[in-house]
Parts: sequence; structure tokens; C-alpha cells
Amino acid sequence: MAEARTRRYREPNVHHGSPWPFVIAIGAAVSYVGLIINLPLMVLGLVVFVSGAVGWLRDDLRTTPRAFYGPGTENLPVLGRVSARKLATWLFLATEVMFFSAIIGAAWTVRLRTTETTGLPWAYSGQILNVPGTAFVTFILICSSLTMVEALAAIERGDQKHMRYFLLATMLLGITFLAFQANEFYHLYFTDHLTFTSAPDGINANFGAAFFAQTGTHGAHVTAGVLALAYLNVKAWKGGFSKENHETVELVGLYWHFVDVVWIFLFTLVYLI
Amino acid sequence: MAAEAAAAVPVVGATGEHVRRPYVYVFIILAVVTLIEVYVSTLDFPQAIDRISLLIVLATFKASLVAAYYMHLKYEPRWIMLIPFGALALVFVLVAALTASSVPVLPQP
Repeated sequence: MAEARTRRYREPNVHHGSPWPFVIAIGAAVSYVGLIINLPLMVLGLVVFVSGAVGWLRDDLRTTPRAFYGPGTENLPVLGRVSARKLATWLFLATEVMFFSAIIGAAWTVRLRTTETTGLPWAYSGQILNVPGTAFVTFILICSSLTMVEALAAIERGDQKHMRYFLLATMLLGITFLAFQANEFYHLYFTDHLTFTSAPDGINANFGAAFFAQTGTHGAHVTAGVLALAYLNVKAWKGGFSKENHETVELVGLYWHFVDVVWIFLFTLVYLI
Repeated sequence: MAAEAAAAVPVVGATGEHVRRPYVYVFIILAVVTLIEVYVSTLDFPQAIDRISLLIVLATFKASLVAAYYMHLKYEPRWIMLIPFGALALVFVLVAALTASSVPVLPQP
């Protein structure tokens, strides 16, 4: 087994190296530094980051689909049916759990403490936010989780056609969610005058900042998910996944379901309470 | 040569099982609980904390269903749960620290 693995590492046609992750890492580092010291530097970092991502995805889409991606994607017995890529995805999701916890925790700290210090109350459920409409897009997001997991189930059976349709449906549902959120933000900001620093109707001025920070970061994650789904769709329609090789569908699915989980909590904590 | 080596490896994702997983049932439960949540949010509880607690319990139930069935935690090796639960342990510390001095000023209905 170990010998076979060593041999595969040396196979010239089993390509598993790419310079693009380094470009992405450099772009991320520059943009983080830029965020602190210089905004144009941040934009430069983002451009490098996006270029790296586009280059990596383009290389991948040009590669002939095959059953074996390369070292790191196989099932190592020591990890018990969990590949290195899935393990990495779960670790990434763990960091995302902490990221969202920090944002939600900060918003709740502001909510619980400024109510008594500034005198103005926090908006109650339905006072300014559209609860029925948001309940509907929550349902849309739940639908998209179902279609995502059905896409994975389809390719696990080797059913290309249904995988493509379910992946397309998932992406369209995600876009629907984003369209609703964009519309909601627009009306709240320009019609209701709920801004980052002020709020209408005697609502606590911090409400807007807390609302936009929580739902905005989630919306950014949905956007990233829709982009990942666009890549999955292109690759799926090119025949890039098979019964033997479809882990990417599963990993993007994990991220997509995680974004759904975050929304389940945000819907409760921001809209209903 | 490479194809042979690849074929000998148990490929990721090809678990071979064709069991019907209850994805649609989970979806129905999620949709119904969402409706219940919206209804609960309109109810007038004697204490706001009761309504808030009930809503958080319902949200946690929904999130657990998604994690268990759609994210396949129910079908994965148990140890992988250490990763999300490890993060959740830290979240619990954060929530406890943030709310410790704030609970008496929870929002009123």
C-alpha cells in the first residue's frame, strides 16, 4: 500500500501541484494588511486573490476528468473514510463557526448593553424588518440545501442528468436569496433610512450597524457559495464528475449547508427575537 | 499504469451504499419548524426570555438536522464531530462571557 502510494507520487501524469494557491495566499495576506494600513493595498490584494482563484479554477476546468485527483484526496485508513480534503473543509468550517460567533456575539453585546445606556429600544420583531418575506427566503435557502444534497446523492448513483439539474436549481435558489437580500437592503437603507449610524422610528441607532454586519457577512458567504456553485455547474455540464470522483460536489455542499445553518440562527436572532 | 494504481485505491465518495436517506423528510420538518418559529415570534409570553429560549431551541433543532443529515455527520466517523463541537465549545465560552453581565437587561416584548 505504502509502496503503491510512493509510486503514485512519482507518476509524471498524476499532476497534483499548482502555483495558484500561492498566488491566492499572497493576495489574501496583502489584502489583510491593506485592510489595516491602506485601502488601495487591500484592493490590490483582492485583485491578486481573485486572479489566483480564477487561474486555479480555469486550470481545473481544462483538466481531463479522472477518477483519481492525486495524493491527499485518497482515503487514508488512519483517518477512517475521511479524506484530507474533507478534513480540511471541516476545519475551515470550524473557523467559520468562530467567525460568525464573533459577529453575532458582538451584535448581541451591543443590543443588550446599549438599550439601557442610550434609552432607545432595539427594534422588536417585525417593527422594521420584513418577517414574512424573510421567512419565505429562509424556505428558499432550505430548498437549496435539499437540492444540493440531492445533487450529491444523484452523482453517488452515477446519475449525471439529475446531478446537473439539482446543481443548477441550487445555484438559482441561491441567486434568488441574494436578490431578495439586495432588495431588502436597498429599501431599508434608502426608503426606511436604516443606516450604519442611524435608525428611524425611535429605534436604537446601533440596530442598523448590527443588522447589516450580521446579514451582510452572511450574504457575502452566500455570494461565495453561488460562485462555487457556478464552478460546479460548469464542471458538471462538462462531464467533470463521475460516480468515482465527485468529492468536490460534497465539499461545496458542506459549505453550502453550513451557510444554511448560519442563516437558521440569523433568522431567529435578527428577525424573530 | 496510473489507471491501475487509481483503480486499486478506494475512491473518495464511492461508498457503494444505495440506502435511501431521509432528505425529503428532513426538508419537510425544516419547513414546518420554520413556520412554527414565525408563529412563536408573534406570541405574547409572560417573560420575553421564554420566547427567546424557545426560538433558540427550535433554531438549534433545525441546525442539528441540517448538520446530521445534509452535512452527513450522522454517516461520518464519529471523531469528525470533534471539529464542529470543538468550535462550539469555544462559542459557548464566548456567549457565556458576553452575556454574563447582560442577562438582566434582556429585551422586553
